[in-house]
Amino acid sequence: MAVSTTASGGAGRANSPTRAVVLLTGPAYVWLTIAVLLPLLAMFYFSFLTEAPIAGRVGELTLEQYREFLEHGFYTTLILRSLKLGATVAFFCFLLGFPCAYVLAKTIKGRWREALFLLVIIPFWSNALVRVFSWTMVLRGNGLLERSIDFVIPGAGSLGLMFTYPAVVIGLVHSYLPYMILTCYISLQAIDDDLIEAARSLGAKRLTILRRLILPLAMPGIVAGAVLIFVPVIGSFMEPRILGGRHGTFIGTIIEDQFTAVFNWPLGAALSFILLACVLVIFALFAPVLKRAA
Amino acid sequence: MAAAGRIYLGLVLVFLYAPILVMAAMSFNDSQLYALPVKWSLRWYADLAGNQRLIDAGINSIVIAMITTVIAGTLGTAAALAFFRYEFRGKRLLQILLFPPIAIPWLITGTAMLLFFFWTGIGRGLHAMVLGHVALALPYVIIVVAARLKAFDPDLEAAARSLGASPWQVVRYVTLPFLAPGVVAAALFAFAVSFDQFVISYFLAVPGVSTLPVEIYTSIRKGFTPEINAISTIVIVSSMALLIGVTRFYRFGGDR
Amino acid sequence: MNRYLTAASAALAIFAFTAAPSAADTIRVLNWQGYGTDEDWSLEMFEEKTGHKVEHEYFNSEQEMLTKLRTNPGTYDVVLINSAFTPQAAKEGLIVPIDTAKIPNAADLTPEMRNNPNLVIDGKTYGVAWVWGATSFAINTEKFDKAPETIEVLWSGDFADKVGWRDDAVEAVQMAAIALGQDINNPSDLDAIREKLHALKPQIRTFWTSENDWNQYMSSGEFDVAVYWSGSASRSANNFGLPVEFVVPKEGAIGWLDGLSVPKDAPNTDAAYEFINWMIDPEFYVKWDTDVGAPASANAKAMAGLPEDAFNRTVLGNSAVTSKLKFMGPIEDDMREKMLELWQETKTFYQK
Repeated sequence: MAVSTTASGGAGRANSPTRAVVLLTGPAYVWLTIAVLLPLLAMFYFSFLTEAPIAGRVGELTLEQYREFLEHGFYTTLILRSLKLGATVAFFCFLLGFPCAYVLAKTIKGRWREALFLLVIIPFWSNALVRVFSWTMVLRGNGLLERSIDFVIPGAGSLGLMFTYPAVVIGLVHSYLPYMILTCYISLQAIDDDLIEAARSLGAKRLTILRRLILPLAMPGIVAGAVLIFVPVIGSFMEPRILGGRHGTFIGTIIEDQFTAVFNWPLGAALSFILLACVLVIFALFAPVLKRAA
Repeated sequence: MAAAGRIYLGLVLVFLYAPILVMAAMSFNDSQLYALPVKWSLRWYADLAGNQRLIDAGINSIVIAMITTVIAGTLGTAAALAFFRYEFRGKRLLQILLFPPIAIPWLITGTAMLLFFFWTGIGRGLHAMVLGHVALALPYVIIVVAARLKAFDPDLEAAARSLGASPWQVVRYVTLPFLAPGVVAAALFAFAVSFDQFVISYFLAVPGVSTLPVEIYTSIRKGFTPEINAISTIVIVSSMALLIGVTRFYRFGGDR
Repeated sequence: MNRYLTAASAALAIFAFTAAPSAADTIRVLNWQGYGTDEDWSLEMFEEKTGHKVEHEYFNSEQEMLTKLRTNPGTYDVVLINSAFTPQAAKEGLIVPIDTAKIPNAADLTPEMRNNPNLVIDGKTYGVAWVWGATSFAINTEKFDKAPETIEVLWSGDFADKVGWRDDAVEAVQMAAIALGQDINNPSDLDAIREKLHALKPQIRTFWTSENDWNQYMSSGEFDVAVYWSGSASRSANNFGLPVEFVVPKEGAIGWLDGLSVPKDAPNTDAAYEFINWMIDPEFYVKWDTDVGAPASANAKAMAGLPEDAFNRTVLGNSAVTSKLKFMGPIEDDMREKMLELWQETKTFYQK
């Protein structure tokens, strides 16, 4: 971030910057501390307890929750499954969203662009839950999709998409696609058209232009979009529950269960921190890419 | 090529809107079990009018989103100004601290809030949801406002000062007017983040006090009524109208 | 102009929001959705009689119900608890003893239900017996020539991917225990149960979470046969006109008795008693079972008020059927934990 020294220097009061900084940033950070940082610390503490120290219970320090995780292989299976879900959804969002953003940013001009852009963004404004739910009506047996396929090819039979892994992916891609389109659009728009024109006049093939010029320049947008999608998806629980049925068990649904049903908050906390550690490791592995993107 | 691109875009739009349209159609379907073909009826809308629970939840959602917008907008803009104007120790750290709300799955933030608020006696309910929503919206506000500030020419402030303006006047007549579009965009963002937020609200809701997304989820999970289709249709249509309205206002009334 | 409109509606919203707090005699009931306490006609009658309004909160599993009681003390006035869980709730101090003298209709309850050892602990009544029934499965009669006699139909290749199941650890384990002839409250061979549940993998279409779910999946043909509750099956047939028949197979079925309890620090105990009294009133029950469909009442007078041909009299009144029921009892803590773990592991196995 470029910062002007002249602006602050001109004020002339020597001790005022510190005071101003505290006054300006203080409230926001006190808020973040109370609402996010302290809760995370508390959760970390809870993950080492035998029982949540509430409702008259007493928790003692233990490593039992983490041992529980290690002893039962299925938790690892579910974490890997959630990570895979996050990657799959992010990938399909890119596959669908990037060309879409490209068309919007580079081939459509003027009022049409604005109108179409708005159309793409509006679903982002409507409720994600509602959108996921609307898929149940499309995918369900004898629902709209099967009926319309049957109409085109009579007797095509049942797709059986509802309550499968693909159903969860479809619902999530639908929910998060606007993020990818938005971030890609912003970075694509920043690419100078003349640059592409120049490459073309130098005889570069379309694919080469895409691979060597457009993709690298659009990378910040793609990476930002992927992160914005990956993170919430690995913790998702309501989408798998609504669309996944028997195939809808993920680490997110297990963690939610610990908090809302089983009342084993320490185990829920431990699983959350293990999941968080996985996220951090992935970010660290991709740090070079992320840094280049930023 | 251009035509192919347009067709592709059209298909993506179909993908985005088809389920929403199906849901809207079902909200006018008389059959509770979604029997096809659709038998048109307004009965679910009539039922909705009598469903105080959903209406209360809707009002809660709007109120929380508005409070969140105001608080996050103010605090976030202030912090962004500090980042822009001053160089100070720990600035980098403060900027990194903005990431947890974005880079940690909401499930984890939400359950952490539940556990902390419950444990410390802060409690759950409307105030807790506002606490959570503002925290989620803050980073977005700061980032959006900071992006606008990047384009700001500090010489403008210097010029104003050299013409004898007081620091307050500089902020009031030079900085803020320039910032306005960024703040409006950030506010819109904050409103959308809060209004759409399900996970955090889900863990912080208490019996009798919930938001629309929580109420919708509860209905889906615990016994669905097609009134949900009706209210969802209303929410989508009104957010469309609101967004279109805002962009028009934004274009013709706001910038330059 | 637009801005004034938004400002005005915002002001309106805040006004409505602050005006929302409810009258003093509103009671809050915690139950399954669509399970008797929340019938509109009944609440209207109750309000007419007593002036009290009733609000509802719902749960999807007994586990969730207990956690809601733990994390929302002083919120609910009446809670429905499966009598198998009443001792646990009482032990944790989540519910308080009920003064049955203040519930006149309690005198008409069948004595063995009223004094069920799970409901009456140390001489104190922690739950008023309400209704009882069976958990087994129901079939789509259009897909069967005649009702199957064995629970093994759930494992039959003919119905692969057409079986509806419920995502509930205790119920899943107990259904498998019935199929294997084990004690449902303290199964001896958990490994065999695990294997039995794993074998369901190709069978299960999806998990259902509410009656409404169940009805939709049945009507759209997702399920041919699905685990279900006796009272709910009669609701699906009566109220929704679905071709559904409830089956109690030769291996038996899970029997349960549901009671109504009063949570600790309930804000409105007197109104809660009045509501419980109304819930076991024959006037309410007969209408509920006849118009909507219900499990069998614990009130002998209410049962006598049913028509001769009612399911609850012909089937559940039949000793040949009731002798096959294996009643749910309290489950030891470590057994419950094992059941939960077994079910989580099984669900993970289903994903592969």
